[in-house]
Amino acid sequence: METFAANLLNGLSWGMLLFLISVGLTTVFGVLGVLNFAHGSFFMLGAYLCMQIMHIVPSFWVGIIVGPLLVGGLGVVIEKMLLRKIYDRDISFQLLLTFAILLFLDDSVRLIWGPGYHVVEAPAILAGTIPFFDHTYPIYRLFLVVIGPLIGLALWSFFHFTRWGKVVRAAAVDREMAEGVGIRVPLLFTAVFAFGSWLAALGGALAAPHQSLAPAMGERIIIESFIVVVIGGMGSFPGAFAGALLLGLLDSFGTAFAGRAQMALPFILLAVVLLFRPQGFFGRET
Amino acid sequence: MRRQAALLTLILCLAVFFTVSQAHAEKPVKLGFVYIMSGPFAAYGQFAKKGAELAVDEINKAGGIMGRPVKAYFEDSTGKPDAALRALRKLVYQEQVDCLIGLDSSGVAKSVAPSIPQLKTPLIITHAATPDVTGSVCNKYIFRISLNLAQNVKTAALLAAQTKAKTWTTVGPDYAFGHQSWEYFEKYLKEINPEAKFLPKDQVAFPPFKTTDFSSYITKVMQSKPDGVLISLWGGNLIDFVRQGSDMGFFNGDFEVLVTLGAATEVLSALKDKMPEGLWVGSRYWFLANQSPLNKAFVKNYHDRYNEYPSYNAHGSYGAIMAYKAAAEKAKSCGKDAVISALEGLTIELPVGKITIRAEDHQAVTDACWGKTAADPAYPIRVLKPMKIFKGKDITPAVADTGCKM
Repeated sequence: METFAANLLNGLSWGMLLFLISVGLTTVFGVLGVLNFAHGSFFMLGAYLCMQIMHIVPSFWVGIIVGPLLVGGLGVVIEKMLLRKIYDRDISFQLLLTFAILLFLDDSVRLIWGPGYHVVEAPAILAGTIPFFDHTYPIYRLFLVVIGPLIGLALWSFFHFTRWGKVVRAAAVDREMAEGVGIRVPLLFTAVFAFGSWLAALGGALAAPHQSLAPAMGERIIIESFIVVVIGGMGSFPGAFAGALLLGLLDSFGTAFAGRAQMALPFILLAVVLLFRPQGFFGRET
Repeated sequence: MRRQAALLTLILCLAVFFTVSQAHAEKPVKLGFVYIMSGPFAAYGQFAKKGAELAVDEINKAGGIMGRPVKAYFEDSTGKPDAALRALRKLVYQEQVDCLIGLDSSGVAKSVAPSIPQLKTPLIITHAATPDVTGSVCNKYIFRISLNLAQNVKTAALLAAQTKAKTWTTVGPDYAFGHQSWEYFEKYLKEINPEAKFLPKDQVAFPPFKTTDFSSYITKVMQSKPDGVLISLWGGNLIDFVRQGSDMGFFNGDFEVLVTLGAATEVLSALKDKMPEGLWVGSRYWFLANQSPLNKAFVKNYHDRYNEYPSYNAHGSYGAIMAYKAAAEKAKSCGKDAVISALEGLTIELPVGKITIRAEDHQAVTDACWGKTAADPAYPIRVLKPMKIFKGKDITPAVADTGCKM
């Protein structure tokens, strides 16, 4: 029982982090049509900026609010100055450009904060543990399990009930038609890209208290996020949620019961989805 | 005609002057370093560079190697065998270095080892711990100055035999290093204590290198209710594991914990008081293990210059340069073959203590230090109290057991 409960919580908390990263990635892809390799670097920047701000104002909450906002601002700059120029070009240009941004950001982080490891403290209220069967379980993980669905619900409501959310969805379905009915698509694109960057950075800041910070930390998570996005359906919001949870649980239960085969499970899942349902669980037919 | 003669004389004089002055300015001794300088493990390359620069400056200030200044060239291995081999080739063919020093990853070291003889240049390994480079794939050109996996794990087994723990399990990175650590631990502990039991392969934990969330592995190991756990994770993996494990009650004392690379300063500095007390931790070099004047001076100079305590990788590159200097001076030459012969059987005092490079397999016989993590108000990081020093000859496998055939 303890094994099951512990694995469930382990999988859910990891899945929630994956969800935050993936939902930004999938939204940017759905609306802009850009597969953003640098998304993991925004995740990393979010964690580092959160740490840096906590050196100035020793509060995790200030760090987690201000840090991702700064990254969102960087997203605006990158979209306006770089991405905008290549929307009409071949898709390989996007891959090259976003990959270049990734290399640039990774090295910048190394130059600014050095190549060493850093740790970020969880806020006092979430730092402790609670009794859990015979052992203890960290409160911060429970916080992740709770905050993930809350953010997910907030995003879902935004997309479904607000005008802006509907505009974003409309533009995602048909960019030209959206432009035709008077939506200012360039502005929308900037906003969506900044929003995606903000989400990645928020994920990074949330991950900071439970994993060490090192340059290129984003490269590790981006691969799993891509898997989430593909199995959930490119551009699909519920797909990202389901995919992230599935991958999180596969990770925890796979470790417990599948032994070394666990490593292969996400990729087997990916292969099966691509073979039998290439548009993903929630993806639209293309 | 006379003016032409005068001009000719002048040119001749200048030519002679420059040739002479060039002969007087000694050609530098070139050392090439290949470490991980980018990506998530760039910290290790940085440490090695710091140690190397300290050694080079010290040597040059004291008159160089036999009067020749030392010049260091650094290349990035990126942690990948092909990039590392390119870097090694570049250093030998383009920079024409006299000696190669480096290599962090065991995987890289093992893959490039067979190609080193083509370069005809000695390579002193300072970090990569795989027993194979001074074992099954050893060759004339490869030396290792640092403690290898077999020596470190033998020490762990000696410690494990002193505990009451009967059933052992492991958490290690899912590549050769983690698996070999467990394999050697099992072998050595069984030799000392035939009663010891080891959990089967499917019950031990080998998280992939890229893991950042170790919770499921922590749960798995705790559920298997062992008496003792050998942890061979290192770097960021170890930091994440310790933090997440602490919260989940992994270090509450339900079982013995031996961490083979837990005394690495980069791990202790990142964790500070988050490192639990009372864990047995080891390292390749611990800056407080040796009270010799040489070690004290090394730690002080390093701390004055970089404001941190030397990590084992800094000691590795520092030690390799000092060993090269000693070998060149012993051979009275920087010729590659002369240095190789001089390195064989060389005994030299390094900050870590007196080491001897065995002529048969080119592995340094060096002392190992393990200790229990403890708080000390004099240091910002956890230190080792009590410390146990294991003699090099007690922990180094016999040459016959290494599988090395030169």
